[in-house]
Parts: sequence; C-alpha cells; structure tokens
Amino acid sequence: MPGQRTTLGQLLRKALGLVALLAVVWAFARVGVREFSRDPQGESGGAAPITLTVMHWSGDAGQREDDIVEGALAQFERQNPGLRVQRINPGDAASFYTKLQTMMAAGTPPDAFYIGSERLAAFATMGLLEPLQPFVDADLAALTPPADAVRLDDYFQATVDAYRYDGSITGRGELYGIPKDFTTVGFYYNIDLFRRAGVPLPADDWSWDDYVAAARAIGALEGCTGSEFVTWPPMLRAYLGTEGLDIVGESFDDLRLDEPEVFAAFDRLRSWRHDERGTLTSGKSKIAEGSTVFLTGTVGMAGPFGRWVVPSYRNIPSSAEGGFDWDFAPLPRGTRLPDMPQSNTVLSAAWAMSSRAEHPQETWKLIRALVSPETQAQLSRLGLAVPTLREVARSDAFIDPTAPPRNDQAFLDAALVASVQAWPATSKFEPLFKSRLDAGLKTGNIPLRQAITEFENDWALESSSPLASGDFEPVDWVLWRNLAALGVVALLASVAFVVVRGRGASFTRAEERAGLALVSPWLVGFAIFMAFPIGLSLVLSFSRWNGASSLASAQWVGLGNYAQLIGHDDRFLTSLRVTAFYVLLAVPLGQAFALAAALLMNVPSRAIGFFRAAWYLPSVLAGVGVSVLWRWVFDGDAGLLNTVLAPVLALVGLTPPDWFGRDAGTFGPPAFALQSLWMVGGSMMIYLAGLKGIPQDLYEAAAIDGAKGWRRFRSVTLPMLSPVIFFNGIMAIIGSFQVFTQAFVMTGGGPGDLTRFYVLYVYNQAFEFYEMGYASALAWMLLVVVLVLTVAVMWGSKRFVHYEGMS
Amino acid sequence: MATVELKGIGKVYEGGVRAVQDVNLAVADGEFVVLVGPSGCGKSTTLRMVAGLEEITEGSLTIDGRLVNDVPPRDRDIAMVFQNYALYPHMSVRQNLSFGLERRRSYGSAIRRLVDSGYRAKARGEDGEIAARVADAAQTLGITPYLDRKPRALSGGQRQRVAVGRALVRDPKVFLFDEPLSNLDAKLRMETRTELKALHRQTRATMMYVTHDQEEAMTLGDRLVVMKDGVVQQCADPVTIYERPANRFVASFVGTPTMNFIEGEVRGDTFRAPSVELRMDPTGPRVSGPVVLGIRPDRLRPAGAGTGRLRAQLRVLEHLGDRVDLALMLDCGTPLVCRTAPGAHLREGEPIDLDLDPADLHFFAADEQGLRLA
Repeated sequence: MPGQRTTLGQLLRKALGLVALLAVVWAFARVGVREFSRDPQGESGGAAPITLTVMHWSGDAGQREDDIVEGALAQFERQNPGLRVQRINPGDAASFYTKLQTMMAAGTPPDAFYIGSERLAAFATMGLLEPLQPFVDADLAALTPPADAVRLDDYFQATVDAYRYDGSITGRGELYGIPKDFTTVGFYYNIDLFRRAGVPLPADDWSWDDYVAAARAIGALEGCTGSEFVTWPPMLRAYLGTEGLDIVGESFDDLRLDEPEVFAAFDRLRSWRHDERGTLTSGKSKIAEGSTVFLTGTVGMAGPFGRWVVPSYRNIPSSAEGGFDWDFAPLPRGTRLPDMPQSNTVLSAAWAMSSRAEHPQETWKLIRALVSPETQAQLSRLGLAVPTLREVARSDAFIDPTAPPRNDQAFLDAALVASVQAWPATSKFEPLFKSRLDAGLKTGNIPLRQAITEFENDWALESSSPLASGDFEPVDWVLWRNLAALGVVALLASVAFVVVRGRGASFTRAEERAGLALVSPWLVGFAIFMAFPIGLSLVLSFSRWNGASSLASAQWVGLGNYAQLIGHDDRFLTSLRVTAFYVLLAVPLGQAFALAAALLMNVPSRAIGFFRAAWYLPSVLAGVGVSVLWRWVFDGDAGLLNTVLAPVLALVGLTPPDWFGRDAGTFGPPAFALQSLWMVGGSMMIYLAGLKGIPQDLYEAAAIDGAKGWRRFRSVTLPMLSPVIFFNGIMAIIGSFQVFTQAFVMTGGGPGDLTRFYVLYVYNQAFEFYEMGYASALAWMLLVVVLVLTVAVMWGSKRFVHYEGMS
Repeated sequence: MATVELKGIGKVYEGGVRAVQDVNLAVADGEFVVLVGPSGCGKSTTLRMVAGLEEITEGSLTIDGRLVNDVPPRDRDIAMVFQNYALYPHMSVRQNLSFGLERRRSYGSAIRRLVDSGYRAKARGEDGEIAARVADAAQTLGITPYLDRKPRALSGGQRQRVAVGRALVRDPKVFLFDEPLSNLDAKLRMETRTELKALHRQTRATMMYVTHDQEEAMTLGDRLVVMKDGVVQQCADPVTIYERPANRFVASFVGTPTMNFIEGEVRGDTFRAPSVELRMDPTGPRVSGPVVLGIRPDRLRPAGAGTGRLRAQLRVLEHLGDRVDLALMLDCGTPLVCRTAPGAHLREGEPIDLDLDPADLHFFAADEQGLRLA
C-alpha cells in the first residue's frame, strides 16, 4: 500500500537524520571533552605533567626510525615522571621542514626538533634556535653532573662545529644543535665490475686519477658506465675540497668560481661526463638518478654519497646469489698539487631547541636523552648514518663485519679530515647554484663558463637587491587589524541595515532574514578560509616575512617585492616564459583533443558508457602517482616514448629528444603539454554536454541545405559550441597557468630552470627560500597576468562566441 | 515543379515499434497536400521520410518519377520548414538564406577562385545570382529590412518568414512544412496561414504540409490526408472530408465543435435510441441494424416548443458573439452540442426542441472502426 510505503520512507529518512545529528553531536562532544579535560597550564598546580613536543623525520629507514625515537621517548618518560612527550613525524625531510615552518609561523614550534647543518644559518638568523652552550656548560659545572651530560669532546669535532654559527659563518660561534648522527661521503663501488675490467679496487688513499682510470676501464665494458657522479651542490663543494678549493672564500661575498683552479676542477668534471663516452653517466636519465643507478649493476661507482644509501644497497644480493658485491671508498685525494692530503665533508643532523620552548630545562633533558649513547647505537644499527659519539661509532653498533660495506672504518677516518660546509643564511644560494651549474655540468646545455657567469650574475643581483640588505620598518599590524575590523564592522552594519530597515512587506523581510541565516555558514566559512587568507596574502605581498617566525617579524617593504620581481628577478621572467610556452601549447592542443574526444564519445553505441568512463578516469587519479608514471614515459634513455620514437626517427637520421634533460628548454614544456592531454576528461565531459545541447533540427536543416562532414562541423557544431569552447578555454588557461604537480614531481623545475613553472617558482620562494612576502607578490602577479589574459580573451572572443538566445 | 509518389511507405523503428504503415499517396504537380492527425499519428514521420531525414523501411518514394529511397536529403531537391525554424543562430538572415545555395555552387572552390581568372569570373557571376535570388525571396516575403540581422533579433513571425524564405530561395521541386505555424500565437497563425496560401497560389509549387490543427489543414490543403496510429484514414479534398468523413475518427477529428454521436438502431426508415426516434431521409442511404448516428452541431436548429424532432435539456449556453454553442443533454444522458444564431428564448436548465434535416445525418458502423455506412 502506498500509505505504508510513505511511512516507511519517512521513518527511514528520520532515522538517517537522527543518525547524522547524533554523529555531529558526538564529534563535537568528543572534541569538547578532549579540550576541556586538558589541564590548563599552571591552574592545577605543580603536579600537572609538562608536555614537551618533539618533531623529527624518518628517512629511508621509515618505521624503524620511528620506533627507535618512540622507544627513547618512552624510556625518557619512565625516567622522568611528570614529563610527557608528544612526538610528531611528518615523514621525509621535505615534509618535515614544511611542517616545522608552519608550526613556527603559528607560534607553536615543537620544543625539540631535527635540523640539518645546511639550514642552521637560516634558522639561527631568524632567531628560531636556542643557544645550547649554556646548558652544556651548566651540566658540567654542576656539583654532580648528570650521567648523560653532553661532553662535546666525546663527539667528532667536525660534527659539532657544523652546528656553530656566528652570524655570518657556519662552523664557529654559538652552538645551536647537538648532532645525533652524521656521514662522510665517498663512492660506492661494484667489486665485480672492477674485477671484470681488471682495475685494482679503490684504496682508502686513492686519488682522482685512480678514480677516473677505473671509470674509463669499466666504461669500456659492454653496456657499462664507469661512474655516477651526482652534482648536488654539497657534493660539488666536497669535490672542490679535495683539491683544496671552494666556491667561496671566507664569506659568501667573495665567490671564487672564476679562479682558474676552481674552473679547471669543474671543467675536468664536465669533460669526464661530456667529452668521453661511458666514463660518467649521462646525467640525463630521470628513471634511475642518483643512488638508484648503482642497483642496476651496470655502473662501476656511484657517489659521492653518504651513509644513507647503505640500507637500500644492503638489499643487493651478493655475487654468489646472482647480484654483485660492493664496498665503499672515501672521496679520492686531490691531484692539483703533488701529495694533496685526504679531505672530506660532514653532513649531519642534530637535535635543536626552539627559542620559544616554554620549558628549556626539561627540553634540554630530553635532548640529552635523545643523543645518548644508547639511542645513537640503536639508530646506528639502521645503517643510515654514523653516530656522532666517537665511542659509539667505533663500537660494533656501527662497525658491523657481518653486513656490507666492509669498509665502515673509512667513514670514521674521513670524519677526522672532514670540514664543515658553511652555507649562507639565505637559502637561495644553493638552489641558484644548482640550477645554473646543472646546466653546465650535468646536462651540458650551456658551456660551463656561461653557467658560472650566469650564476655569478644571479648571486650578485640577489645580494645587491635592496630587499636583501635593506632595513625596513615592521609591518604595522595594528593598522591592518583595525582596517580589517573596520571592514568587517561596515559589512555587518550594512547587512544589519538591510535586515532591519529593509523595504517591502514583513514577509519579504522575514524571507530575507531566513535567506541570510541559511547562507551564513557559507559566509563564515568564506570569510575565514578565503577572504582572510586572500587579504593577508595581499598585505604580505608588500612585506618581507620568512614564514617561520611570527607575523610580528614581518617588515614593510612597500612595492619592493613587485619592483624586485619586475626589475631584478630573471627567474621570474624565466618561469613566466616557461609557463607561457606551456599554456600556448597545452590550451589549444588540449581543447582540440578534448573536443575531438567528445565528438567520438557522442557517437551512439552500446559500449559508449565504458569509453566515456575510461576517458574520464585519468582526471580522477592522484596527480602525484600519475606524474611518477609519466616520468617513465618521457625518460630520455629508456622511456616508453623514446623507445618507440628512436627507431622511427632513426630512419630519417634523427634521435628522439631528451625531454627533461638536455633538450628540456625546447621539449620540456611540450612534454608536460602532451602529458596534460591525458587529463582532458573534464573538458571532454563539458563538450559532450554542449554537443548534446545542440538542437537536432539544425543538423537536419544542414542536411537539407547540403552541408555535411567538415562543413557541417564548421557551420553548425563549432558555432553552436562556441560558448562551451570559450568557457573551457578560459578554464584551461587559468588551470594551465597553475600547473605545478607534474613539474614538482617529475623535474623539480630542472634541469636548471628549464621547466620551472610559475607556481613551482612561487613554491620555491615560499617554502625553500622562506620568502613568504615575495611569494605572495608572485602569486598576486600571477593573478594580474591571468586576469589580463582572461579579459583579453573575453574581449577578443566576442565576435566568435554565439549564445543561442533563441526562444 | 514535381510530383511525389508514396507507395506502401512504412516505418518500423529498431526494436519493432511501428510508426507508419502502408501510406499510399500521389501528390500532383503544384498540389498542396496536408497531412493531419493527432500527435503520434505518424504524419511527421511520413514527412521526414519524404525529406530523407528518416530512413524509409518499407515501400518506395519517388519524386518526379525518380526513386529516392536511398538518396540523401540534399540530393532530393526538396526544402523543408521546421517547427522551430532551425535557423542558424550565428548567421545573419542573408547568410541563412544563402547557405543552401552556397552549398550547391557550381564554382565553389576557393582555391581555383584564387588562381584561375576565368573560374573567378564565373564564380562571381554565380555570387551575383545567389544574391539576386536571396533578394527576390526576401522581397516576396517582406523580410528585406532584416537581411543583416541575426535570428535572435527577430520576432517569431519574422523568423518564420525567414524559415520559409530559406526554402523559397532554393526553388526546390517540393516544399515540406513540419508544423511551421505551431510556435506562433493565434492571430499571427491566422495571418501567416493566409500568406502561405497566397504563396502557394503565386508559386504553384508542390507542397506537403504537416499539422495537427484540422482548421489549418482545411483552410490550406487542396487535399487532406487524415492519419491515425500510423494509418491513413482518409485522403480527400476538404469538402469531402467534412461532408463525407470516411469513419467516425475522421468525422470527429474534423470540424468544431466536434460532431455529435448518438448510438442507436435503424429499423426500416427510423433511427431509434432510448430517447430519440428519427425518421430518416427516404432518398438517403439504406442502412439497418445497430449504428452510430452523427450530426454536426451547426446542422441542429432550435425549434419552437413541440415542433422539433429532438428534445433535450439545455445545460450550458456559451455566447460567442455571432453565434452560441449550446451544451445539451438528451434524456438518455447522451450529450449534444448545437451551434446556432443567438436567440433570446434560450434559457439554461430548460428543455429545448431541436430540428434537423434528415439529409444531414451521417451513419457509422457501431463497431471499433466506425466506418461510414453507405
């Protein structure tokens, strides 16, 4: 009976509503209970436990590093009743720094956290780190020093020095971190290939001559390459260090790249890679870059790497099991002068204390526990790094004869001759250096001399920028707060006026009030999550703020950011050019492709549902995962595309492009545009809807008028679809200017800046250079660019867009 | 101008649904044939088969003696006016008119136009010809002032003219109209109807016209094809359709108000129903047995009390100015409608006597089909 059915349906609906209501109530109650059951600090007396927050990352060891830190913290809590520790691990180092930066900006940094020596200067300059020397000294000066007091003499000297910073140079001055582990660098070598090539295995005191001789011999073997040599800036500096050289002198004002010796050393490296065949890896493969090429078993040596590759290399089956044997050799000696001494570099991570820690003494206690010999020994067994305590490093926790590499001792010996690499407080130096030197050394796109000159220009521009050196007033937040408050009050007042004094019958006003009440959740959400951030970013675009210290530290630079990006920022123009190139290709190509697909999908067929779903599928896949797959398509050496293209192009005497390598300037953005074709599902669906909306009788009229095929498409379909094409086109332009994920995952903007899309550059500025203000200015600039373009397209398309407008 | 001949034309859709069955129709040169019937009767489908927009699944279609079953629309030399006009919204009226001609150019190659001066001259000549024909058609239909407007800037009536103009300019063998007036308001519909009739007189073109409006069909058509459920019910000139409908369906479909029907029986020369007894015209058709008697409302006349042949109750009186419609009911409950001149003596709720001429009686079989008897 229908009556019964209705009752049942109503009952079901009511029950569902009730469940939803209960769920909401439960969620709020849960949060409420949690929040209110927390002890407000100080209120409940001294018995309240103090909660400390620590944050760390886990590298390749993943869960196991988690477990070790967790174990150390649990033990600490047991030994220190009244202290509780909350652990945060955002994942890898990159996520870690993003999270750390966000927490610092929010004014709630963790009390203790990991820090790498390369970021020390930047963080210390921002005043985010608590000097630790006083704590060390106080412990030792105490009548009875604690059992786990930090005695810096027990550490490898270089690892401790790495956390000293005097305001301009790393390596001396105030102590900001207690190193937990470190690594020295060198080459991992394939013993089997050395035997096959008949070259002696590297000795601990081998030289670059020995190195390149071995590489050449192995490179001469069928299908083998002598060595992978990564061109990461710290490794390039380590390489120069073996020759007693560096890219800078005392400070970062005196670049030494033009000195003949430095240039010769770099040019030797370039020549090994680009003037010889098989000696060094080509530097263009994206599939197997860095440490993973070694796993193929066709590369004689790989480096310079630290200890961190060991866990993954330990998975290589031994020679007896069908894999190959391998070992480690420290960086070769320099050959510039006779009898150059050995040299190496130290890369390390330390525990640091936030300058805003509320319980410094307790936090220090915690840090002591985290760098204790026991914890270090446990971490050391992961194989990822070397303990910083010499005792522990020499124990069997590190020197493990049962697992490769056999030459563990070399890491320790190298530490004794290693020096600390200083990096300037601005984090821009390294990316600039990398992007330019990559083009000269890695891909060989431009002559080395030019690469160096370009970098010097970049750096000079950067250092001379008024933004970098100038002294600015702090942002007048009170003024902005008042302005914002004024705006809000004015808005509320006008709303209130409309509600109270609104004209019309009372029921109209009641309706108005109800309407406003109903949209108010959205309005509140919009105000908090959209309007406020947008407004803040606009204010920030006129300021200089590092995004890590509180907003109060932001400085007012007026139009400085805009002046800088228009007049003094080559990379801004580069990224704009790269992005424009991409947009120019991706938008027309993508729209043509989407339209063609929609026309195909408009064919009536039984299986059409399947095909529509199949075409749309890529649009719902996760961008990052998809991008990883596409890397395999466009890989220069072994990519799917080039594997197909190579034999075809060979017929006409051409070779396929090295999409994201040497040829990235010409072929990088087109490759991304090609990739974007895969994602046309969304546009296709809109086109399909548009096609369905074209009145059938227009086609019939055309059939009678004698138009068919292309003519019919041109005279009926295209004009009738023009509003849809226009809409899709505008959306595509906006979307294409915001391209980010693919480039971020697949190329990171490289090589050099050849695929540095605009939003990627914004990201770099914000999250790598800590220039939130500048990044905001860039973002607003993008808005202007897209806005101008959109208005231009709207204006220019008037003649071509036909809205049907018929009755 | 041309003839169109449909022989055994039928349409069966995929899945077995039959829309049209065995249509036989010969349209003479210059004739105006109207396909009329309620919606879903297959009239539009038939027209679309003639146009070539629907595939002909049964029978044969010849235009001017040529079998065109498998000839695409553009090559049938027909023109069609659609219900929604189907004007190209992005083209001006002029472009709409010339589009079909442009597609049929003899000198249409843009490339040869560029390189071959002789060809170019001929193409220019053709351009002029097209322009002249467009101007002509526009003149005929009075749309010259709107030639450079887009369709959306035109009123419904103007669009309708453009749609007709698009057909006219092509000077096709056959004009096809698919309910071209149904989107216009009543007044405009009447005017346009007259203009279409005049246009036909002027051009003497062969025209096939589809409508569901019997009045439109009656006024326009030289001949009417009344259809129902895919089957032709009657095919004749308007007067025959009105005066001698082939069956009850045609009788009720044509004429306003609808013909009155009384179920009863004929014995001898008398028609009897529960409350009716009518003497029939002795010279009229010879029928007997159960029948349905039909009489048009305008053939019933109110008569003086006690003098009529029928007696009924006047339930509702509708004044229409020049006439009144009387809704009546016989004693047996059968409703009747009478259309007559206004008179002061008529009162709702009172009995009324009606008179009629026995020659105006129609007799239909009492079965489902209701064929006209004799």
